[in-house]
Amino acid sequence: MAKMAGLGCEPVVGSLAPSKKREYRVTNRLQEGKRPIYAVVFNFVDSRYFNVFATVGGNRVTVYQCLEGGVIAVLQSYIDEDKDESFYTVSWACNIDGTPFLVAGGINGIIRVIDAGNEKIHKSFVGHGDSINEIRTQALKPSLVVSASKDESVRLWNVHTGICILIFAGAGGHRNEVLSVDFHPSDMYRIASCGMDNTVKIWSMKEFWTYVEKSFTWTDLPSKFPTKYVQFPTFIASVHSNYVDCNRWLGDFLLSKSVDNEIVLWEPKMKEQSPGEGSVDILQKYPVPECDIWFIKFSCDFHFNAAAIGNREGKIYVWELQSSPPVLIARLSHIQSKSPIRQTAMSFDGSTILSCCEDGTIWRWDTVATS
Amino acid sequence: MMVSKSSDSASKLRKSHAEQASDEFGNLTQKIQQLKKQIQADRVLSIREKLEENRKKLEGHVSLLVSGAFSRNSISVVEANSQGEMLSSRIENPFCKINGFAQGSGDKEQINIQEVLFSTSAKLPYIEKIPPYTTWIFLDRNQRMAEDQSVVGRRRIYYDPHGSEALICSDSEEEIAEPEEEKHEFSEGEDRILWMTFKEYGLNEEVLNIISQYIGGTTSEIQERCYMLKEKNQEKHDQDFNGDEENGSEKNNLLERSLSAALDSFDNLFCRRCLVFDCRLHGCSQSPIYSNEKHSYSSESDEDGKPCSDQCYLRLKFVQDLPESSVVNTLHRPESKSSDEAVRTPVLPSSEEAGDVMHYEMGKRKVQKCTNTEPDSLVLASDDVQGSSKKQKSLSAQKTDSMVCEGFLNVDSSSNTEVGDIEFETGYKNELLMPNKDAEHLLYESASDKFRCPVDVPRPGLEDRVIYEAKGISHGTEVPVLKESTNFVEGQVEAVLNNSEWKPFEKELYLKGIEMFGRNSCLIARNLLSGLKTCIEVSSYMYNDSAALPCGAIDLPSSFSEDNNKVDAEFMERETPTRSRLIRRRGRTRKLKYSWKSAGHPSMWKRIAGGKNQSCKQYKPCGCQPMCGKQCPCLHNGTCCEKYCGCSKSCKNRFRGCHCAKSQCRSRQCPCFAAGRECDPDVCRNCWVSCGDGSLGEPPRQGDGQCGNMRLLLRQQQRILLAKSEVAGWGAFLKNPVNKNDYLGEYTGELISHREADKRGKIYDRANSSFLFDLNDQYVLDAYRKGDKLKFANHSSNPNCYAKVMLVAGDHRVGIFAKEHIEASEELFYDYRYGPDQAPAWARKPEDSKRDDSSISQGRAKKHQSH
Repeated sequence: MAKMAGLGCEPVVGSLAPSKKREYRVTNRLQEGKRPIYAVVFNFVDSRYFNVFATVGGNRVTVYQCLEGGVIAVLQSYIDEDKDESFYTVSWACNIDGTPFLVAGGINGIIRVIDAGNEKIHKSFVGHGDSINEIRTQALKPSLVVSASKDESVRLWNVHTGICILIFAGAGGHRNEVLSVDFHPSDMYRIASCGMDNTVKIWSMKEFWTYVEKSFTWTDLPSKFPTKYVQFPTFIASVHSNYVDCNRWLGDFLLSKSVDNEIVLWEPKMKEQSPGEGSVDILQKYPVPECDIWFIKFSCDFHFNAAAIGNREGKIYVWELQSSPPVLIARLSHIQSKSPIRQTAMSFDGSTILSCCEDGTIWRWDTVATS
Repeated sequence: MMVSKSSDSASKLRKSHAEQASDEFGNLTQKIQQLKKQIQADRVLSIREKLEENRKKLEGHVSLLVSGAFSRNSISVVEANSQGEMLSSRIENPFCKINGFAQGSGDKEQINIQEVLFSTSAKLPYIEKIPPYTTWIFLDRNQRMAEDQSVVGRRRIYYDPHGSEALICSDSEEEIAEPEEEKHEFSEGEDRILWMTFKEYGLNEEVLNIISQYIGGTTSEIQERCYMLKEKNQEKHDQDFNGDEENGSEKNNLLERSLSAALDSFDNLFCRRCLVFDCRLHGCSQSPIYSNEKHSYSSESDEDGKPCSDQCYLRLKFVQDLPESSVVNTLHRPESKSSDEAVRTPVLPSSEEAGDVMHYEMGKRKVQKCTNTEPDSLVLASDDVQGSSKKQKSLSAQKTDSMVCEGFLNVDSSSNTEVGDIEFETGYKNELLMPNKDAEHLLYESASDKFRCPVDVPRPGLEDRVIYEAKGISHGTEVPVLKESTNFVEGQVEAVLNNSEWKPFEKELYLKGIEMFGRNSCLIARNLLSGLKTCIEVSSYMYNDSAALPCGAIDLPSSFSEDNNKVDAEFMERETPTRSRLIRRRGRTRKLKYSWKSAGHPSMWKRIAGGKNQSCKQYKPCGCQPMCGKQCPCLHNGTCCEKYCGCSKSCKNRFRGCHCAKSQCRSRQCPCFAAGRECDPDVCRNCWVSCGDGSLGEPPRQGDGQCGNMRLLLRQQQRILLAKSEVAGWGAFLKNPVNKNDYLGEYTGELISHREADKRGKIYDRANSSFLFDLNDQYVLDAYRKGDKLKFANHSSNPNCYAKVMLVAGDHRVGIFAKEHIEASEELFYDYRYGPDQAPAWARKPEDSKRDDSSISQGRAKKHQSH
């Protein structure tokens, strides 16, 4: 589905002049080893742990806590016995009784479900045919996670029972690595995925929801579960002309980015009667200079008020998402932060921003009260 | 550039003087500017509104999520114990705390790096990872690639897995070739400007140029768009006035539509080869091929010469023939009851139950095979008939309508014999049946020829015998009760004869009926116009119709055959010369040597002998009527005519199957086998299958003398297992032991063009895994994303299997066969037959790339030992 173009379809482009609405300063900096850290994520699933975050790098998954005064406490650390594992992604989830889980995946293609409440491995999912590029949790039902993989599929898992419920691949699926996936904030049936085939695909699991429900009560072996293929997305968008490495829902709109130095906000306009048809209305653009390499992901605060994204040179741009035109809240830079920032994490209220870098460092930035 | 002279507003404009015009155009640019600004401002506003609306919605959702996050808190607090609270307790006692800079550090201040010292909470136990694969969909039969799956013309970007960030665009030799002139798409805003200008200034060159400057697109595009907008607005205008008028007509919509429109989805989506809608193998919109072999309709319909219902034309005839013409007026019952599938069938001639109407359920077609071979069931049936007017399911069990009719006759006759009242109306009968000489239902038989599933392969003799019986007994059975039945038949002949009520749709259905059943009003009314027209109506329409025609349309309606000729001509024109294979292919494909050596059917000898090394040609049914000439596309293409062709069975280019009696068609003595084809029960004389245990008199199951060359067709395949290969990546393994030449399974995949395969091959070569398989001159099989487990069988130059392309019912399919005896759970290998330069490094002997007999360095255990 092509973009709408022409007069009256222009997007509103945000200005790079900082608004100085908020000011952030570095309050801590950690070195986690030499290997790149690909993901950092706050726990948004359980309010007790809103200031707890996890990182993955190399074969290690680490859990930290942000304390007052820039203090960071190391809480837990897990090491994969396979030294060749290189985790790319991690997400918080939980058991149906509320026990916090960490779900991580990487180059080996094995999804590790870590029971952080008991400090032990809960389950390992072997099934993906290649590396796992992103894992996301369904906020409304946090025992459901989706994973995006190099094997060109997106899979839906129940971490509680260890079941692979659905596989989004096949005739209408991605034609190359899937790099990013996200659950719709309110519509439980809908997910969006994007990847190296330059497309963003929106999938619906409405017709397959009985399988999702069945996965919670399944008592037989997980391998016996009748996993279903979802072969056709409800919407395919060609918004970018290169790898799409991150996409997130903003209400019913989508934020996505490629290697074109910008995040794009667009509306998928579906035609009710004919699935697979429709158009893309590009609403806003959030410029991010020097952001032309792939596998750089952005993050939002809990309320989707702001998004933070790092760039190739170690700088962070914080955009106000829902204002029109977009407002650049702040541009974070530090003389020692030069390494590409792979992922950022915004805290619940956006007052803390974490960034993890290619050189294995983790940076903490906190807002300072502006007079 | 053309200037529209007919446009009113334009002519108005042209009247003005030159300076005035330029003045006005200046005005125009200003106006356009203004409107443009307005539109842009509107856009900004609308985005703001959209975002605001979205924000409000999102706010609601988020508050839900917040409460979710907080509720999880309370759940676990309730069951707070030491279990599952490690994270909380770690918060109390962390491994270590790393102090930060409470004040924050400015961007220029140096800060110290703080190493995190880890003490590991838990180790994640080692798990062996599985060999890589791309997610794929299981296919049990080949599928043609859907248009949108093509990678041709799409830019592909690669990254260097080692240099991590280097993006490499795919080499663009073919991409450059398609710089399609991009058509300007007009946005809503642009339409507004166009419409405004058009209304106020009309369309002339200058105006067009100005618009083109402002919104892009060529002037001709703009002009076209303007006319479209004008029409659209006109329509809108019209609709405002006539909005209400169109509602009523919707109801009769179905009947008002033409038959061809109603049959559109059937014609376009139904695959006549696979007998399914939306066939993924042959695609939709296949040009229909009409068979030359129409059965004549002038068969013996005599024995069926009794009325099909109480509104049968026979009653009309009968009554007309009666001396007391008084009955004529009371012929009809006003309503036609045969609305559903159950068709009313007529009165039976037993004197006690005179006038009793039997209901035969024919519509449901519950196929109970072989009832017609069972004399007992006939007796039973006739008993039923005698007893009461029960529904005769056992009789409706025949496979085709024609059979039903015959079976039905049997009953008539047997009950007649019992009543012993046959002689009575013989004279009458003959007279009665005279007009019914033509049509009879034999098209179904021809259909059954084609559509027969392998199960009801001819059982010569049996059927005939039954039919004979039926004919034999049915002499002189008919119609004795007609007199009685006419008594309750009411209605008016005049109404019947009134043709004006025939809707176009019904007329077309009627014509179709003539095509299918000949001039048999009973069958036409029953099968095509059920609920719309009665037999008498059809009959009278037929009478008038044929009176109108110069010659009686007793045979094929001439229009029909004309159609066919037309189709033929089109077909030939469309046929393009076969493209020669491109050799510049870089992708590796598995190749096969085709076996054309041995002699096949006499007429095929030449071709088979001559085409030693040529690749198979894709078969496409021809529609030649009545015989294939030199122009036959099959002949041109170098394929045989097959059963799906329109030409007659005696066509010289037809492959006539084999006559093998005992050889089981497993050797080259069988012409089918020799030609790389599977036997076809529709074509070969002695090749057939059956089911059942023989108790019903059908031939025994698989055994000696049975055809062993239909294994792909019948899917007589082995259980294949998927596991980690002993050689590389995944491998296919066999569950049970097999013998030499046993069929293991089919290599299925997406059918893609050679051009597509070239492009995909390049992509696959980068990933060093290709699932391409050369199928024939037109298609390559790609099992990359769709296929079956056999796609994982690895290459070996000393393999235990071989792949062979077989022609199965007109389609090329790849079968994998055992080259030798294979034990259970052995891994399967076959020779991919790479072209000389195509073998990947691991499949090539370092010093000798042509003779790659020890290609796999690790090899299978057995092979390793021998070296």
